[in-house]
Amino acid sequence: MGLRAAHLPRVLEERPDAAWFEVHSENLFAAGGAFRAAVEQVRDRYPLSLHGVGLSLGSADELSASHLARLKDVVRQYRPVLVSEHLCWGSAGGRHANDLLPLPHTRAVCDLLADRIRCVQDALGRELLVENVSSYLQFDGATMPEWEFVAEVVERAGCALLLDINNIYVNSINHGFDARTYLRAMPVHAVREFHLAGFTRKEELGAPLLIDTHDRPVAEPVWALYAAAVQRFGPVPTLIEWDQDLPALETLLGEAARAQEVLDARAA
Amino acid sequence: MRAPPDLLALQRDFLAALYGEGNAAPASIRGSGLVPDARLDIYRHASELIHLGALATSYPAARALVGEAYFGRVAMAYRRAFPSRSGNLQAFGEAFPAFLAGRPETVRWPYLGDVARLEWLRQSSALAADAVPLDGPGFEAGLAAATRDVTFHLDPSLRLLSSRHPVAAIWRYAVSEGAGACPDADGPGEHVALWREGTDVVVSTLQPASFACLQALATGRSLSRAHGQACDIDPGFDLVAFVGDLVRAGRVVRLESADRESDAPARHAGAGPAATVDRG
Repeated sequence: MGLRAAHLPRVLEERPDAAWFEVHSENLFAAGGAFRAAVEQVRDRYPLSLHGVGLSLGSADELSASHLARLKDVVRQYRPVLVSEHLCWGSAGGRHANDLLPLPHTRAVCDLLADRIRCVQDALGRELLVENVSSYLQFDGATMPEWEFVAEVVERAGCALLLDINNIYVNSINHGFDARTYLRAMPVHAVREFHLAGFTRKEELGAPLLIDTHDRPVAEPVWALYAAAVQRFGPVPTLIEWDQDLPALETLLGEAARAQEVLDARAA
Repeated sequence: MRAPPDLLALQRDFLAALYGEGNAAPASIRGSGLVPDARLDIYRHASELIHLGALATSYPAARALVGEAYFGRVAMAYRRAFPSRSGNLQAFGEAFPAFLAGRPETVRWPYLGDVARLEWLRQSSALAADAVPLDGPGFEAGLAAATRDVTFHLDPSLRLLSSRHPVAAIWRYAVSEGAGACPDADGPGEHVALWREGTDVVVSTLQPASFACLQALATGRSLSRAHGQACDIDPGFDLVAFVGDLVRAGRVVRLESADRESDAPARHAGAGPAATVDRG
């Protein structure tokens, strides 16, 4: 489960039956404080994964040396089982959108990402997982479909893959492709983690558009795609992401339990 | 490796559009059944909400005082004037207190800037480095080991703010959503100390002499000089009681011999486990 500050006291007190927790790396960038201390306690009781949202791997701007150095410190201190980032960009000319922005799917951008990811892996001294992002637009000049782009980046960078099943589904509706074609193109050996989340349907526009809002339960078609992914890639760790309009801890545990059933069925 | 030049141009145009500059979406965005601007708007709106959310989290009292609608407008103006400069949002709102206080629409809230400053210091205290405080015997040993006068290294989460307004009282009222008694906004000013205790940040109002002493210690003045500054305000200032309270509260981290003290600016500026002082 994604670990949010609102749930921390109950997680520490009640020690719920969760397989592992994931924290946004940047939430541990502060020098000290209660959240960092609490996450250390969680790390002592559960496997912990660090999920970055701000490294901006695909920006034409240089990789931020200070951001990478801080990430390295946090990884050293918290000893996570997995470290991940996004295949996206977020800044230009030193200004940040603080969002996960889409990239043109071209060979040149593949080169840039592969180089950056190798640089991050060298700095951290460990494998990095990269996550496919949801997107609401595409660019002219793209020379390959998204699934080829993601697979090529992963192969060339020699990194691992965090496959966000909801993002694949959202993009399949937004850009009109077959989500199962996407799954089939992903390198089986590289998949280390799945993400699941809820989306919102934007109704007022003239074309179908799903927004990756992380504010509701996982939709049924995403569960079906997840089952297909587990069949193909095996029972890898799965995270329920829920960041807005946080529900009670029980709701999140219920979603995590449903994912666990799919994993257990595959493992049996 | 160097990024492809067309990527650089695309990202600059895209980001300018997200910050409300430029008139249209970058030409390379495919409409695919929509006008390209409608697709870009999703990102523009998301980035605006992320930045608004960061400011609303840092400045709940300022938001309550000016109202949600105005806060939303001023947050967007701030975002354009002081764009986010990091992939980590922690520093994004740093210039917001001065920006807010400088808006012509906020003249009727003369205390607003100081309330926002207090909120920023509160957040900064919550995220400050951890430190192990000296206990009573440790403090006594430190004093005994000092050859002459001493300087204090204080709790890194300590923050100080002096205001011409009753800033802590107004802040408390604003964050209580009107539950407490409405303070007299024209009342006397306050000297405020903030520090972290467990998961909370304590906001405490100090007497002027105590504040002067703490401020002097926080900026690296020796104990005797800090005492002198407190006595300038209150000749009866009780240094022993003040320091005893400070040690019992766990605010002293280390003592150092002050073999050579000057009136030079604070030794702590930007380095070491020192407290931060904001004179408001």
